[in-house]
Amino acid sequence: MSSSGQTGFLFFFLDSVEYKERLIASVKKEVKQLMEEAVTRKFVHEESGSVTSLCAAVEACLSQGLRRRALGLFKTSSTTALLHKVAKHCPEAAYISRKVQDIENTDPNKRSSSSSDSTNKPPILKKNSSNSVTTVSGPPAQPTVKYLWIRLALYEKRLAKIIEHLVTNATRYYERDSLVADPDYGSILSSLLVGPCALDYSRAKTPDHYWTDPHADELVQRHRISSGNPTPPTCRRPILNFKRSLHTSSEEASTGSFKSSTSVTAKDYVESLHQNSRVTLLYGKNNILVLPKDVSEQMPGYLSIHQTAQSLTVKWTPNQLMNGYTECEVTDKSSYWAYALNINVDEIVYVHCHQIRGEDTGGTIIFVGQDGVQHPPILFPEGGHMAAFLSCLETGLLPHGQLDPPLWSTRGIGKIFPWPAKGRRRLLSSVLETNEDHPIDYVFRVVNKGNHADFLATHQIMETGRTSPRRTQLSSCSTNESSDCSSKSMSLDQSLPDTPQVGANQTASIALVCSTMRRQIISRAFYGWLAYCRHLSTVRTHLIGLVNGRITPEAGAEGGLTKERWESLNADGVVSDDKEVYRLVYYGGVEHEIRKEVWPYLLGHYSFGSTPEERHELDEAARHYYETTMGEWLAVEAIVRQRDKEKTAHAVAKLSSESGSGGDKTKGVDVDAEMENDVFEDNDFSDISDPVDYDVEKKEEVPAEEMKKPTRANKSSTDSGNVPDEDIKNNEDGQDDNDAEMNPEEIPKEKDNDAEMRNVSNQNAINGIELELKENCFGENDGVAAATTTGGKENVSNKSSPTTSSYETVGNEFIDTNDMNNGERLNNMKLPEFQSVDDIQMELTEYEDDAGATSAQGMDHDEQHLQQFTASSPRASVIVTKASIDVANFDKEEEEDEKTAVMSPVKEEANGNALDALQEPKSACVSPASSNGGVYSCQLLENFGLNLHRIEKDVQRCDRNYWYFANENLDKLRNVICTYIWEHLDIGYMQGMCDLVAPLLVIFDDESLSYSCFCHLMERMIQNFPSGSAMDMHFSNMRSLIQILDSELYDLMHAHGDYTHFYFCYRWFLLDFKRELVYADVFSTWEVIWAAKYTASSHFVLFLALALLETYRDIILSNSMDFTDVIKFFNEMAERHNTASVLKLARSLVLQLQTIIENK
Amino acid sequence: MASRKKSLLKVIILGDSSVGKTSLMNQYVNKRFSNQYKATIGADFLTKEVVVDDRVVTMQIWDTAGQERFQSLGVAFYRGADCCVLVFDVTAPNTFKNLDSWRDEFLIQASPRDPEHFPFVVLGNKVDLENRAVSQKRAQQWCQLKNDIPYFETSAKEGINVEYAFQTIAKNALAQEAEVELYNEFPDQIRLNADRNNRPRNADNCQC
Repeated sequence: MSSSGQTGFLFFFLDSVEYKERLIASVKKEVKQLMEEAVTRKFVHEESGSVTSLCAAVEACLSQGLRRRALGLFKTSSTTALLHKVAKHCPEAAYISRKVQDIENTDPNKRSSSSSDSTNKPPILKKNSSNSVTTVSGPPAQPTVKYLWIRLALYEKRLAKIIEHLVTNATRYYERDSLVADPDYGSILSSLLVGPCALDYSRAKTPDHYWTDPHADELVQRHRISSGNPTPPTCRRPILNFKRSLHTSSEEASTGSFKSSTSVTAKDYVESLHQNSRVTLLYGKNNILVLPKDVSEQMPGYLSIHQTAQSLTVKWTPNQLMNGYTECEVTDKSSYWAYALNINVDEIVYVHCHQIRGEDTGGTIIFVGQDGVQHPPILFPEGGHMAAFLSCLETGLLPHGQLDPPLWSTRGIGKIFPWPAKGRRRLLSSVLETNEDHPIDYVFRVVNKGNHADFLATHQIMETGRTSPRRTQLSSCSTNESSDCSSKSMSLDQSLPDTPQVGANQTASIALVCSTMRRQIISRAFYGWLAYCRHLSTVRTHLIGLVNGRITPEAGAEGGLTKERWESLNADGVVSDDKEVYRLVYYGGVEHEIRKEVWPYLLGHYSFGSTPEERHELDEAARHYYETTMGEWLAVEAIVRQRDKEKTAHAVAKLSSESGSGGDKTKGVDVDAEMENDVFEDNDFSDISDPVDYDVEKKEEVPAEEMKKPTRANKSSTDSGNVPDEDIKNNEDGQDDNDAEMNPEEIPKEKDNDAEMRNVSNQNAINGIELELKENCFGENDGVAAATTTGGKENVSNKSSPTTSSYETVGNEFIDTNDMNNGERLNNMKLPEFQSVDDIQMELTEYEDDAGATSAQGMDHDEQHLQQFTASSPRASVIVTKASIDVANFDKEEEEDEKTAVMSPVKEEANGNALDALQEPKSACVSPASSNGGVYSCQLLENFGLNLHRIEKDVQRCDRNYWYFANENLDKLRNVICTYIWEHLDIGYMQGMCDLVAPLLVIFDDESLSYSCFCHLMERMIQNFPSGSAMDMHFSNMRSLIQILDSELYDLMHAHGDYTHFYFCYRWFLLDFKRELVYADVFSTWEVIWAAKYTASSHFVLFLALALLETYRDIILSNSMDFTDVIKFFNEMAERHNTASVLKLARSLVLQLQTIIENK
Repeated sequence: MASRKKSLLKVIILGDSSVGKTSLMNQYVNKRFSNQYKATIGADFLTKEVVVDDRVVTMQIWDTAGQERFQSLGVAFYRGADCCVLVFDVTAPNTFKNLDSWRDEFLIQASPRDPEHFPFVVLGNKVDLENRAVSQKRAQQWCQLKNDIPYFETSAKEGINVEYAFQTIAKNALAQEAEVELYNEFPDQIRLNADRNNRPRNADNCQC
């Protein structure tokens, strides 16, 4: 690229022009790209491709037409030699040149060892990105750094100046027709680079993080290093800084963690001159002359008015500081910063306008601040610019302020202030008017309508950033409050003459000034006090509910609730001193061994003062309730499973009938699955089905397993077989085989599951009997209802002898579900043969035993027979009965043959037909009930089914890497959640509930106790879920709290994309920090939250969230994190927090808020 | 015409719970598969630099909660998305069925400028599993109906097609950028050339 420059002068003139144009165009393109990158990210990475290409483009421009020969630049083809050459005359170049030499002189091998100046990137970065956290470990030196000096100059923000120097002295270094020497291109080149030179190039990163933002760990680490303070930053910093917003405190704020440096200020300043999302540019005019203090002649500059939400600012920037200023030789520009004007209109009391009458000479405006100090005069050129400026100013003041008198007066003949229109002027009496030849002066008072007072009075104080003074720190040295008060005080003085400096009677005017000052001082003090009071009252009304009125003192509670203490409190088995328990837990947590005993108290399951007997009773009742409830939903679960399976079967049938000829897929399994899908597409209630293979397997294996271990209690063999049952069973078994073949490893799990179900059913025995009686009556009354039959049967199983019951429960449920279809069929057929429920029960049990004896596979065959049979002659149950017997016998022979058989298409077809014959299976939703003796509505089944599938998906994924849940305990989790959902079907399962149950289960290792405690826990937590309103309340409380307790952080959050919606705290609140902390910490945090309700605050989670934020506040601030950064940071920090210190901080935050509220 | 390019692409992954959104994201970004992921609560994102058409862009991939009840939270996260990835589980037909509502919900909540042409990509995940229930044909049909959404069959576990799918996602998101630009002409196209020809000197002074 560089060699092309040497041949540049050989081109024809036109070619050369074209070439230059191309060069400059490429620079433009790269600059644009870079600037865009800077807009979308917070900073541009040093190694970014756009930086490199920009450097390349600049290099190309610089080497074009370079007088290498004359300058003796032979040794290199790059322009580095040029830099060294220029260094003699240009300080910037000298600086860069030195840097380059430093780097080049350093042996690359040594670089990695030295941490400071020898590496190329980190030292530079340390200098420039003043508010970034520096690293100790810089990136390893780049093997080859292309365009090194241009790069460095860009990072150091000196490139534009060097180029500028080259351009102004082009004749010395360049051919006459070179790009740099070209009057147009040269200046364009240098001005193009001003923008990129204003950017911050990325902060130091390790090689792994070149492209992504550093990991949270890295940030924490860096912060630890840079702050040189291993303790959490919050410990050394007073958080209680709400007073800042009331009194002038910008210095304090700015020294907090922002080390403001000139380079940043300059950059921000230049950027602030442009319109952006937060600042509206109301007025802009270049070449306005100003006579700064200590300067003998007027200087041209850029005058502008900027409006932000809080303030109106008038800025004037000398041309020397503006982009592209090339007229004078490069000198030290920094001195010009002193001349720049930056006037906050809030602080301005008077605007003086001077104009020579009769000549349209423009005019002069002088701002007079509330302290009486005049700002340098601003001279407007002719052409109505002053009028335009003033009207813009007035617009900017609206709606809360205005110029007095208004520019466009409502009284008199209209316009007061039409400068260009001569002669028609009417001045206020207070304005001095002299004769034609003398200057005319106008004085306007800047009146603030006291909007701040209204503003403070409303509770909106929490919602906006008005109370934050620091945001305006660059533009104003005083805070809103003070300016606020002063402007209000001025508006009190309406009756005073407007022009104190003009007066016929000097004594009078001095007296006037004195009285004005006195009033000002008094009123300022008054308004300051008033604002403070209002602020506090707002705080109180809003936040008083967040802490308890009286916070239990800590004294002696640091140790927490130890075993000894608990034993002493629990001496006679009765714990009556609840206050002491709460206090100890709040300040020190519970010793792990006794959590199981203490938590039920904390959660409200046991009441304090209860006797051991009472508690025992309570537990028993809870267990009984839990088991009953579980029995109910287990029955429904079986129905749901069955329905799922029917759909599958239906689908399979459809598949085989459809694809009998087509055979589109290779594997049988595949085909099945696809067809199934198609069917679901057509099926209305596929919502429930959701047949993830796991579910299907699970469902089907339950019965299968049970069947395989028959208890043989009722071993009577009656001949009256039951069609429906058989039918179903066959169906089921067929599926079972299939699944079992595919996933044999699932079986053991199911066994455990079954075992539990068995227990439950045993315990339900008594329950079952009662219900059964009911059922029986029902059944006898209505011979038609197969549904009833099955319902009754279920109960029988529950009550019958302990040995059999388990088997039967499951088996029956399984049958229940099947009966949906069959029951319906029976309904249609109106079979009168079933005389009594009892008969049927007998038959069923017997049949089951048979089935258990024979292998499941054998049933396939039965089924075929049966189904074909039923399909063809669906009338006579007697025949069917016989068939069943036949089949049973037949089974034993066929058993072996069928064992490995995959469902044959024939069978599927038959099955499908049978189902089709049933018409709409939906009507079968009048399905057999179990223990509650009723009929489940279709809706209920669907609803529960849907929840069931969701629960299963989440339970499987819940903390499976935690030791406790490595085994069948996940099933316990599932049971607890299902029971809860069964009792709260209106709420339904929502993601996150698993996480809330898990810690309870780990502690109690007891389903019913966990369930009861979970119910208590959910009383509060359910409000956080999407159906409740607590989450929004948390967010808004967080907003208020952080404004009060750490307004600096609030300002940052507000300024960086405004994430004061606090969505990043969502998971914290939803799960009570369960996902943020490791298990041990979850325990200790949860119990503190529970105890806090009675000792300090029922919204302790808020303070925990605040404590988490505060713990990392300095990192958040120093990295100027936006919403995404914060989300990423906290997600990455999950389970890495120092919980003990967070808890401690949270407790101290509660105290702080209480102190504020009490106004001590 | 130099297209306005932005180097951050925001990609939202949507789909029913446990279809593998988190796994896909992690497989793509970290080249890892873990069977330890929990149900996502709230939202998380990962970033990855990709090179598309010789341009380096940062992909910010947002992983969301799968339960539709949590969608109310979506607005905060969907805003400004450049591409939306709809994921379903090829072994669970319902997750496929729900793509419709996910798509609609996204369009409502994110309200992109040009909903008709907003880039979606559909991923049928878990193709490594045996018990497939949604055929490729079926998924493709659906995608064709919805304005020719690109469809990929992926396996986050085996890493099948993941890289390729996300490359396409990045490409489509970028293409969308360019297209959107054509639609609404941004006023920020400063004609530097014109400046130079007309009044090259004044360009330096005009600060307005």
